[in-house]
Amino acid sequence: MRGRTRAMAAAAFTSIALVATACGGGGTPSTSNSTGGQAGAEITIRGCTPTAPLIPGNTTEVCGGNVIDAMAAKLVHYDPKTAAPTNDIAESIESNDNQNFTVKLKPGYKFHDGTQVKAKNFVDAWNWVAYAPNGQANSYFFAPIAGYGDVQCPDEECKQKPKAEKMSGLKVVDDTTFTIKTTEPVSNLPLRLGYTAFAPLPDSFFADPKAFEDKPIGAGPFQLQSKTTTEIVLTKFADYAGEFKPNVDKVTFRIYTDDAAAYADLVSGQLDFTDHIPTDQLVGEAYKNDLPDRNSITEGGRFTYLTFSPNDPQLKNNVALRKALSRAIDRDLIAKQIFNGTVIPATGWVSPSVDGYKPDTCGESCKFDAAAAKQAFEAAGGYDGTLTMTYNADTAGNKEYSEAVCNSIKNAVGVNCVASPVVDFATYNKKLDDNSLKGLLRTGWQMDYPSIENFLTPIYAKGADSNYSHYDNPEFTKLINQAAAAKTTDAANVLYQQAEALLARDMPTAPLWYPSTVSGWSEKVTDVTVTAFGTLDLIGIKTK
Amino acid sequence: MTEPLTAQEVSGAAGALVPATRAADEGRSLWSDAWADLRRNPFFWVSAVLIAVFLVMAAFPQLFTSTDPYFADLAHAREKPSAEAWFGYDGQGHDVYARTIYGARSSILVGVFATLFTLVIGSLFGILAGYSGGSLDALLSRLGDIFFAIPLLLGGILILYTFPSDLETPYLVVVGKVVLALGLLGWPNIARLMRSSVLQVKPNDYVQAARALGASPGRIILSHILPNSLAAVIVVSTINLGAYIAAEATLSYLGIGLQPPAISWGLAISEASGIGLIRAAPHMLLFPSIFLSLTVLAFIMLGDAVRDALDPKLR
Repeated sequence: MRGRTRAMAAAAFTSIALVATACGGGGTPSTSNSTGGQAGAEITIRGCTPTAPLIPGNTTEVCGGNVIDAMAAKLVHYDPKTAAPTNDIAESIESNDNQNFTVKLKPGYKFHDGTQVKAKNFVDAWNWVAYAPNGQANSYFFAPIAGYGDVQCPDEECKQKPKAEKMSGLKVVDDTTFTIKTTEPVSNLPLRLGYTAFAPLPDSFFADPKAFEDKPIGAGPFQLQSKTTTEIVLTKFADYAGEFKPNVDKVTFRIYTDDAAAYADLVSGQLDFTDHIPTDQLVGEAYKNDLPDRNSITEGGRFTYLTFSPNDPQLKNNVALRKALSRAIDRDLIAKQIFNGTVIPATGWVSPSVDGYKPDTCGESCKFDAAAAKQAFEAAGGYDGTLTMTYNADTAGNKEYSEAVCNSIKNAVGVNCVASPVVDFATYNKKLDDNSLKGLLRTGWQMDYPSIENFLTPIYAKGADSNYSHYDNPEFTKLINQAAAAKTTDAANVLYQQAEALLARDMPTAPLWYPSTVSGWSEKVTDVTVTAFGTLDLIGIKTK
Repeated sequence: MTEPLTAQEVSGAAGALVPATRAADEGRSLWSDAWADLRRNPFFWVSAVLIAVFLVMAAFPQLFTSTDPYFADLAHAREKPSAEAWFGYDGQGHDVYARTIYGARSSILVGVFATLFTLVIGSLFGILAGYSGGSLDALLSRLGDIFFAIPLLLGGILILYTFPSDLETPYLVVVGKVVLALGLLGWPNIARLMRSSVLQVKPNDYVQAARALGASPGRIILSHILPNSLAAVIVVSTINLGAYIAAEATLSYLGIGLQPPAISWGLAISEASGIGLIRAAPHMLLFPSIFLSLTVLAFIMLGDAVRDALDPKLR
């Protein structure tokens, strides 16, 4: 979660990060048998530079994730609107005890190089990504699988080889069947399998991973035609056997480093879609004049919150103070004035877009009341010195809302609060890791898969990668373990909601808001859907 | 060319009243001549008044506004100018008028200190090089060439990126870093000018006479060379002051000069300059820009006026 989380955090304001979490995998070395790309419907959409080679297991951010998602087919497909999972490559995923799963594949799926998608393509791919010496950023997604511990390095630098090369929990039964055994019961495992880290890899990948990086191959509806530093071109894969067939023949991801440039191209008709409307265009809804009826605001699985630094002695053991500070933030006003209504003030720790969401978990701690906040602040002993709110300055919008949060706290309770920039996301992450930051920390989350669990376990479980608040509550741990083992999703959700309620009691972080993805498109395209992950649905989009 | 000179001779004679404040003296120095000239130049008065206003603004901003520039009411964000807020409100709901008034201090501090820095270092090196000549001259001149080759903004970005400031950095240290960066890259300009002036003055008879009388090099420099070679340097420094203020705004605009919570025009312009914001709230950009332009203009106009006065031949 960490890689992604942080990617997310960086992207939290601009909707970029959405897919990052959800990036899929599956590269496509386009081979000579490629069939896509006849003259036909072509679209050009905004892209950005992938930070890693286009390997599903190593892509944790949206720039590469958007491309991989289009190229890779996975066991499960998420509905563009609701994110509800439906089977894609999987014929069925069955389990009696939420611990032993049997996965049956639909026959007929092919990789872009013409080879069949078989059970062993999944098992080999997962083992390869999980195997620590391969250094794949998405390795932690396989942690629930039995034997994951054995493929991890015994020491930090990985000088010694892990005990095993393969996870004992994965077994190929035949070409279209394999089994998964998890160490603990995981009730939502099938739901997670649509994430890109779980994409299959073709045999040719294992023969030469380096060559694969140049020509990634997947089993998805699009295959890679060309890849340069300025654009990535995908064409329709004619042999795609799944039911999610695209309406366009060619998609070009044009790489921009500047949201404003992409926006200008969109307005002038040079670009067909962008999911990054520059923040200054949100003011006064300038973009709605430029793009009448060609814009959308999509709520998705994103969440922006404030982490109270566990390294700050004044905040660390003072729940009342944390609640008072949370209460001093005028979320409604910030949503209106800074975001022009494109974010929804949060009332809990879980995005409304996932199953299991329960409104108003946070209660009065998330409702702005300057007088009550001041009273509670003083009763809690106040805060000596200057309170800082640290943010990474390389993402548009972070500065504006961090300052606004600080001003709100300052005006309400009278403590001097200053927004403190850190030059870029990488530096910010480093500082989060070495525990050198005090005060309030800007943090964001982009869901990996549509589940309430994804908003709780990775952020508040003891020792979790993204647990920046160092939250450690045995009661919480017990509840999420019980929930994971629950027989039904509903039963699990109730337990997860109970765990979430503990957050309202302990206030390790303060919910801020649920960001939306603000996007715009050209006159050329129609049927534009922005998914619950905040990305463009490439399957549904059509040209006029 | 001769006319102004004669005119001055005449006015000097006729206007004996003017220098009356000075001790009844032997005649008029270059400086009193220049002062007489300056007083008749309307540009001088316009720029002097502007500069005086900005200096007072920098020293005592509370004379101009009673609003706390750090107080922000988000409910008023981006409101247009009104009776309550003459210049409107910015994106966070700060009063733009108060922010603009308080922003003068950073610009003036950076401008004045960067100029003083270059003036002192540049003059010192220029005089040493010009007066001593030989290997010291070669050494100092080449040293100057090295810094001269680095463009001001590029070098400034490099230096400030290498020594970034954060919230804990005291205000004066942040300003000091910008001053140092600009000064370090600006002094060769002054040093070259000083050196050539010194070379011009050095062969003059009065210098030779002083030397023949046994005056020490220090005395010759201080009493004879420095006063007679300072004119050009002062002119260029005054003009540079405006340029440094603009450079500070540029660096702050790029996010590496002054850092919030410091208030500066460059920062204000940076925050207000998104295309969408310019459309929605142009006043956020307009007022700090006007003040910045006026300050730079005032110093450059003053420099021009002083040059005209000190060196009538250039007119």
